[in-house]
Amino acid sequence: MALKSAIRDLRNKPDLLFLRLPNLVSLVCIVVGVVWLLLLPLNEYSRRTYISENALLPGQVHAYFTGSEQNIFRGYKREIEGLLNEGAEPPARREDTTLNPTYVEQQDSRMAYMVDVANMSTEYPKKLRSILQVAGLKVATQKYEYTSAGITHQGENVYGIIHAPRGDATEAIVLVAAWRTADDELNLNGVTLALTLARYFRRWSLWSKDIIFLFTPDSKSGTQAWVDAYHDLHPASVQPLPLKSGALQGAVVIEYPFEHRFHSLHIVYDGVNGQLPNLDLFNTAVAIASGQMGIGANLQEMWDHNDSYEARLQTILRGMAKQGLGYATGAHSSFMPYHIDAITLQPKGQGWEDEMALGRTIESLCRSLNNLLEHLHQSFFFYLLMESQRFVSIGTYLPSAMLIAGNFTIMAIALWMRTGYHLRSAPSEPRTPQKEQNPAPVTEKTEQTARISGPPVVERLLALPLTLVTGLHLLGLVPLWTLNTLSHQFFTSVTYTFVVVDVVLPLVLAALLSNGLGLFSPIVPQQYLLIKSFSLLLLGLCLSTLATLNFSLSFIIGLLCAPLSFIGRLQGLSAPLRYGLAVFGLVLLNLLSPPTILLGACWYFGVSVETVLTQAAFGWDVWGMWTQVVVWCVWWPAWLIGCVLLGSSVF
Amino acid sequence: MKMLLRFLQAFGLLLLASMATAEHTSNWAVLVSTSRFWFNYRHLANVLSLYRTVKRLGIPDSQIILMLPDDMACNPRNAFPGTVYSNADRAVDLYGDNIEVDYRGYEVTVENFIRLLTDRLDEDVPRSKRLGSDAGSNVLVYMTGHGGDQFLKFQDAEEIGAWDLADAFGQMWEKKRYHELLFMIDTCQANTMYTHFYSPNIIATGSSELDQSSYSHHADNDVGVAVIDRWTYYVLEFLETQVTSATSKLNLGDLFDSYDESKIHSQPGVRWDLFPGGEQEGRLRTVVDFFGNVQNVEVEDANATDPGSLKEDLAEIARLVEKWQKRDAEYSAILNSSQINKDQHSVHLAARKTVGPTRMVDGGSWSKRLVGVSVIGLCSAVWVAGLYLGRSVKA
Repeated sequence: MALKSAIRDLRNKPDLLFLRLPNLVSLVCIVVGVVWLLLLPLNEYSRRTYISENALLPGQVHAYFTGSEQNIFRGYKREIEGLLNEGAEPPARREDTTLNPTYVEQQDSRMAYMVDVANMSTEYPKKLRSILQVAGLKVATQKYEYTSAGITHQGENVYGIIHAPRGDATEAIVLVAAWRTADDELNLNGVTLALTLARYFRRWSLWSKDIIFLFTPDSKSGTQAWVDAYHDLHPASVQPLPLKSGALQGAVVIEYPFEHRFHSLHIVYDGVNGQLPNLDLFNTAVAIASGQMGIGANLQEMWDHNDSYEARLQTILRGMAKQGLGYATGAHSSFMPYHIDAITLQPKGQGWEDEMALGRTIESLCRSLNNLLEHLHQSFFFYLLMESQRFVSIGTYLPSAMLIAGNFTIMAIALWMRTGYHLRSAPSEPRTPQKEQNPAPVTEKTEQTARISGPPVVERLLALPLTLVTGLHLLGLVPLWTLNTLSHQFFTSVTYTFVVVDVVLPLVLAALLSNGLGLFSPIVPQQYLLIKSFSLLLLGLCLSTLATLNFSLSFIIGLLCAPLSFIGRLQGLSAPLRYGLAVFGLVLLNLLSPPTILLGACWYFGVSVETVLTQAAFGWDVWGMWTQVVVWCVWWPAWLIGCVLLGSSVF
Repeated sequence: MKMLLRFLQAFGLLLLASMATAEHTSNWAVLVSTSRFWFNYRHLANVLSLYRTVKRLGIPDSQIILMLPDDMACNPRNAFPGTVYSNADRAVDLYGDNIEVDYRGYEVTVENFIRLLTDRLDEDVPRSKRLGSDAGSNVLVYMTGHGGDQFLKFQDAEEIGAWDLADAFGQMWEKKRYHELLFMIDTCQANTMYTHFYSPNIIATGSSELDQSSYSHHADNDVGVAVIDRWTYYVLEFLETQVTSATSKLNLGDLFDSYDESKIHSQPGVRWDLFPGGEQEGRLRTVVDFFGNVQNVEVEDANATDPGSLKEDLAEIARLVEKWQKRDAEYSAILNSSQINKDQHSVHLAARKTVGPTRMVDGGSWSKRLVGVSVIGLCSAVWVAGLYLGRSVKA
């Protein structure tokens, strides 16, 4: 009964219901959402990992890759080093078609490499071909070319297939070694190890799946070209594959870009657009590396993970940052969109494990994958790892992003309700034009509300708000198109331009709005609320949908947009105070604008804006990355509307 | 009436006792693995190990029904193609030679298993897929796979329940398809599978109790999977090291006493109550009563002259030979004469008709008649007595 009367009381106090309560609920949603995330590293909310797929049997086989195979490894390495000494460049060429070389010199080393115009060697594919053929594999090559942001990426993939001697060629495992690692180092030992393993695996008769050894020039584009062509979804600039096998069940990328012995294995698992491989694959790799081989396993560049709360949280946050940005973290990432579970194994640190230990780990991992009876499906695809043996699954962490997305929806609904009533205590009194328009809905409802001394019903003017919100969301296509089409040398200047545009555009729009964009009759306060309502509704809708696909991106955008729930047109204050507050608010909001955040993040991490945007454009063109769409068509319009509403307090 | 009931009761008991003590005349073994897939290698290895043991102890392939749902020997993942081992030492290739798999692959279903036990099979099903046991057969049923509380999974698709199995055995008893039955099962929660058995003459044993897992014994690091389950491993160890020949006198008591929970890592169970005489009698059954092929032949006295005895049979055969020789001579005579004179046919044929039924020369014919009369008299006496007693009880 108490509850009933409380609800009745609430209905009778519309100012409480529509003004204070939504703010409170929204704030609580955001706070709980953040606290929820902070609770995840605790033992009570996370779980230990476990192998869910019975067939995997990790670490149950003895790995024989050792001893005499090391001589083979040395031999292959000498052959490849011979090519290097002859002066042939490693086979990755990225050619800038628009730049003069002097400008190139000013770029950082990575950029200098990217525009390296050295003659591409055909020696490497030839050498790999001959080694693989002698080892008894069927070999084929594939040339590809991508152009993104004015840079041409060319290369030639070489791959060899071991047909399962007693299997049916319906399934395959891929082992990838790229000449350039994800960090752009020369992966000499990795490539050699893959060659040695190819020769070694060829002699086993126990494969139930074909094994494909893929050698790509780099970690960014090579695997993408190959896996696209494998599924016949490649663009015209990529050659089709002359040789194919069955459905790909898993992929392991081998990196070993240094000469000394290593200490632990770094397992990289993030895919494009925040997709993750099945947790069983990661668990199997950890179980084999640490359980069977005694090599430690790291993740998310946490080299000294002490399993404390801080370390766990940091691991989660690093994982979320990568997932949120949605870029390819290695050659394995390109497999993920095709539902092929893939990881990269990176040896790290100074220790006493040699390439043979890495080879044995990969052998054991391949034997486990070989045991699979069906596609990896048992374990989780949505998870946050906080330690190599601890994770939270989507059911536990999803409410966090959902609460933050929900706060926008709650606010939007509250605003919608509020625009339907005259609020006596509202700071803005209804003006005359509104009164002229609203006598239509005088029905029993008004009588009822009158009886309970509630506010009368008002008609909503939807045309202007709808047009504006839709228009601004479509306007997001402009930066999206610009940043994915321009040549990379313009990226920095374009970013600064956008910063300026973001300062000016809201004020211009606010000024125009104050007289209804010249098209509509002068704007009324209700319409400001409706604009905000629609904008937040759309934001909440997009973010809650996104949370199920890419939790981290939704969470990050949700947090950055959180102030938008509480910012609107300032009213009922004295003019100087209002101006002051509006300007102050606008400055703060501009600090949270997408271009400013981009610049700030680039400054903080010490990377150039151009690199980041070139990478993003490459992601858009080659990887099929969707992060920019979310930024420019969800975040930026919502932010812009927030600024417009705040700016309108000045006019 | 009371007297008659008591008489019948006594008669029944006598009959049961005589059957229980009677020795069996054949041995059958039904060895079933119910799980497929490479990682269940050990279940097939369990069954094949037992298959090898019962064959060693003398049960012929024709009396073993072997059900294997998957082919581990030819699995591409098998590092040793064409072999199945149940020990990491790989001393014995269980798939080496003389393997007759009767039900393989997707033939191993609950339906086929129950049809096999109860012999509800089509006429065109070959003998190799039939359990040809009779009221004199001792049957060994061994099952292994993935089980739970009162069920055993077949092939990842279906399961057999404890009641299904109990009813199948019940029906076997009704149809006189076993004399004594030893049921062995190695799964998780195995002992729950025999809780519902109700037909007599069954001894059941399982590897683990309710809520207990049955564990694998060890894995082979080259094959890459576990190769045998613990309980089966230790049962086999007993059979292989102790029961060395088909004449072994070790009994089931010895086998069940060899269970060591610290080694098996679960609590094995034994059920005696369905066996006449319970545990005491059951323990005395020798292991080879079920695992071996002891065929008991009833040897007759060579000098007996009873009806159906060897002597009488020989005399009868001699008479038959004489008769046919005579007939043959007559026939050839007819053929010869018919060429000379066809009119004499009727005469010869008439002469042939004179060969009447031969009289039994044996002196025992009167005694036989006496026995017949007395049997009829006894029957009619029982009938009259029943009629009278029934009337008096009614009155």
